[in-house]
Amino acid sequence: MSIHEQFAEDLALYALGALQGEERTTIEQHLAGCAACRQELEQLRGDTAYLALSASGPQPPQRSRQRLMAAIAKESRRVEVPKHAFVWWPVLQWIGAAAAAAVVALLLHQNSELKQRMSAMKTEFARQHIQLERANRVVASFTAPESQQITLVAAQAPPQPQGKAFYLRNQGSLVFLASNMPALPPQKAYELWIIPTSGAPIPAGVFKPNAHGGATVLNPPIPTGVEAKAFAITVEPEAGVDAPTSKPIMVGVAGE
Amino acid sequence: MSSDLKGNAPDVRLVAAIRSGSEQAMAQVYDRYSSVVYSVALRVTGDAGAAEDLLQEIFMQLWRNPGAFDSNRGSLGAWLAVITRNRAIDSIRRRRPETDIEDVIVSVEPDMAGDAARSQAMKKVRGTLDNMAPQQRSLLEMAFFEGLTHSEIAAKTGEPLGTVKTRIRSGLLLLRKAFVP
Repeated sequence: MSIHEQFAEDLALYALGALQGEERTTIEQHLAGCAACRQELEQLRGDTAYLALSASGPQPPQRSRQRLMAAIAKESRRVEVPKHAFVWWPVLQWIGAAAAAAVVALLLHQNSELKQRMSAMKTEFARQHIQLERANRVVASFTAPESQQITLVAAQAPPQPQGKAFYLRNQGSLVFLASNMPALPPQKAYELWIIPTSGAPIPAGVFKPNAHGGATVLNPPIPTGVEAKAFAITVEPEAGVDAPTSKPIMVGVAGE
Repeated sequence: MSSDLKGNAPDVRLVAAIRSGSEQAMAQVYDRYSSVVYSVALRVTGDAGAAEDLLQEIFMQLWRNPGAFDSNRGSLGAWLAVITRNRAIDSIRRRRPETDIEDVIVSVEPDMAGDAARSQAMKKVRGTLDNMAPQQRSLLEMAFFEGLTHSEIAAKTGEPLGTVKTRIRSGLLLLRKAFVP
């Protein structure tokens, strides 16, 4: 796949933000429908990053670090579900391409090829939208406050604490769902651990159950590629600890 | 929880930890790239106070919206350098941000996460710029660090518009070539 030579120089200027007016509009319209030129634009932006390196040298004052850390400490953050699976860029591509195609189709009066392309784009956009809706529903069923988590056990058996870990080793992705968890003492939390086949337990998220004993841990920051022998839960100080300080109250062997 | 993050953790892990709210990961990214961000901001604005403000703004954006960085499409250092330059140009031109940071995708191969790799890349860039014709280097710097458009550069230098375009592109390609293995 090669770039369109007639746009090569303007692409370089566009990467630098040095293109204005009609030329800028023209290249943006072209980019909306040309993957090769979009790829070249990314590469050219990488080239400008090399240029940025030529300025390197001065160090920021120490107070800047303190200022930043104080600012982020003030902005507490909830755990966010990674959005890798659905990035906006492809959708924007489709929207941009559809808009560009609509303009061209208008100008060329019923160009049948473009009409077909637009139709394909709309279909693709609709397909992605449906996929996103499905993904959202799945995530909401785990995480929404009103979501009911029901554990089925043998009839007449008293409810037991249960946890289920879904672990994708190669992606470092982990989803953990718990139910019937007992209430915790003050200033304590449950901590989930990956017990690797070799080495020390790896912390995999701190959680507190809701009023019904349910809890979820979604994609805690864990290393990728760790082969898990088992998963365990301990009761720890609510800020979490690096290594377990108490005996596990729940254990699950991987693969069972 | 991110206490298992090592000082040499790859960028992609640090960003994943930031998404989960790890302040420790944020501190590590700051220690790794604050010099690049600050240097670019200082070079563009020429004002230490403004550069400090931009440094804060860029890292707060990463903290608030780490998903804007797509690790599949390039290095974190390169992305931070480019969005810093864009914001700095916006600030000296006193205009609203022209590009959303989520729309900035930067493909760049060299790993800039390590101090040694970054220092080596810096030397290579400076060597390439030193070997470039002074006029060509000047055109690149006017476009990148001063944020001038091609028409403004042509007016300022007296060079024909076509020459400005050709030299800027070939200058960028020379930089790229320096990093081809």
